[in-house]
Amino acid sequence: MREALGADPPGLLERLRAGDARAFEELVIAYQHRVFGVALRMLGSGAEAEEIAQEVFLRAYRAIGEFRGEARLGTWLYGIASRLCLNRLASPDRRLARGDEALADVAAAAPDAASAAERAELDAALRAAIAELPEDRRLVLVLRDVEGLSYEEIAETLAIDPGTVRSRLHRARLQLKEKLERFA
Amino acid sequence: MTCTETRDLFSALADDALAPAERAALDAHLAGCAECRRELAAFGRTVALVRAIDPAHAPAGFVDRVLAAARPEPWPRWLARRLSTPWPTLPLGAAALLLVAGLAVLLFRASPEPQQTARYQSAPPAPAPTRETTPSGASDTLQDASRDAGASATATREVAPVEEAKNRLEQAAPAAKSAETSVEPTAPARDAPPPALEGRRAKVDSITTDTARANRLRQDAAPLSRTGPMTGILAAPPDVTAQLRAADVSVVERSLIELAGRLGGRQTGRRIDGGRVVVELAVPREAYAQFVREATALGPLSLEQQTTDRPLLSVAVTVSN
Repeated sequence: MREALGADPPGLLERLRAGDARAFEELVIAYQHRVFGVALRMLGSGAEAEEIAQEVFLRAYRAIGEFRGEARLGTWLYGIASRLCLNRLASPDRRLARGDEALADVAAAAPDAASAAERAELDAALRAAIAELPEDRRLVLVLRDVEGLSYEEIAETLAIDPGTVRSRLHRARLQLKEKLERFA
Repeated sequence: MTCTETRDLFSALADDALAPAERAALDAHLAGCAECRRELAAFGRTVALVRAIDPAHAPAGFVDRVLAAARPEPWPRWLARRLSTPWPTLPLGAAALLLVAGLAVLLFRASPEPQQTARYQSAPPAPAPTRETTPSGASDTLQDASRDAGASATATREVAPVEEAKNRLEQAAPAAKSAETSVEPTAPARDAPPPALEGRRAKVDSITTDTARANRLRQDAAPLSRTGPMTGILAAPPDVTAQLRAADVSVVERSLIELAGRLGGRQTGRRIDGGRVVVELAVPREAYAQFVREATALGPLSLEQQTTDRPLLSVAVTVSN
């Protein structure tokens, strides 16, 4: 799980609003992995995730003047990324059978061949189970258990009630538990 | 507290998000219910599995690509930079070859059968003798002008194509800004992008167009270096030039070939251009829209289509990741 989001870099928002070119670069550097990460876990394609992640930053670049600063820059960017991912997933042209590489790097280094095989089987099952989650639950699960956001941050990101975050997350985890029963 | 109520709190427990009263009730139930304790252990293992997923990292060069897309170079600086680079020189021998090539084009275009044959049996093009093009580069206008000179009036090649191109560049200089930023609609079958993506896709399209023009120029410049059935005959540029991004190039390449075959077409060639795989396909015109739809499903696709009424379209797809 990624480390906690934390506060915005000091002064970054003000410099962005002032049109400081260097500030935008700092924004991209600071949040590139988070934005790309959520897109990759949601879409399952590295190329598609990069396309969406680029679009997230381009939209932020254009809209920074309208950003009121009520949320943190991080949750604002996660929010844009989440909406773009859900829109992309809802696109009728999008091929459904994607997701093979979404969790391709799940596996940790295995100490021996036997455990490597077991781990590979478990990873495949985990990958499939996450890909089968309904998109709204998958998004909350990814934001919480992979990206490390708190309930409040997820609620802020998705503009939903914290209670909704809690219930979606619980259902997602229960669904995963049932799918992975034989590995437990 | 019932077992169901208890298990509904497992997720919040895993996140340490229970109110003190909830936690106390949960603990009291768990103390006397072995089944719920087993359930909680299994639930905890599932959460741990998901949390063990490594956070993803953006690919190398991502920041540069975002910055380039966000801040296109102002056109006066672009023009000045490009004009300051040395012009490509053309030896007399090469000019003579171009003259012969121009004549060959005239003969070639006069008869449709050799065109079809050449398109589907063409050997991989020779490496370009000219310098590589840049994504949005100076030679763009020169290339554009050269292309126009060749496409609209092939006979002008017989005179002095490069000089003509330079002249056109000088004439085109005031229009450089619109040339840099304009987006030309390309394939009619292509879906219109969402408004918010138009700007970025415009840039992709622009790059694709530039690359396609460069490829056409390279083909025009080196026809006599070909071997096999194409020797001495110019290959016509493909009807459709496409770029497809894919995580696994070889898989997508196979999928494209299979797709073309399924739609009544076939593979006509394969080459490597600048380290990237270019798959050459023949696709029936009536199946082209379906081809685009299915190719788009393989990965982000950008297209440039030439106006043609041929029943079998030649499609060159550059696949890269």
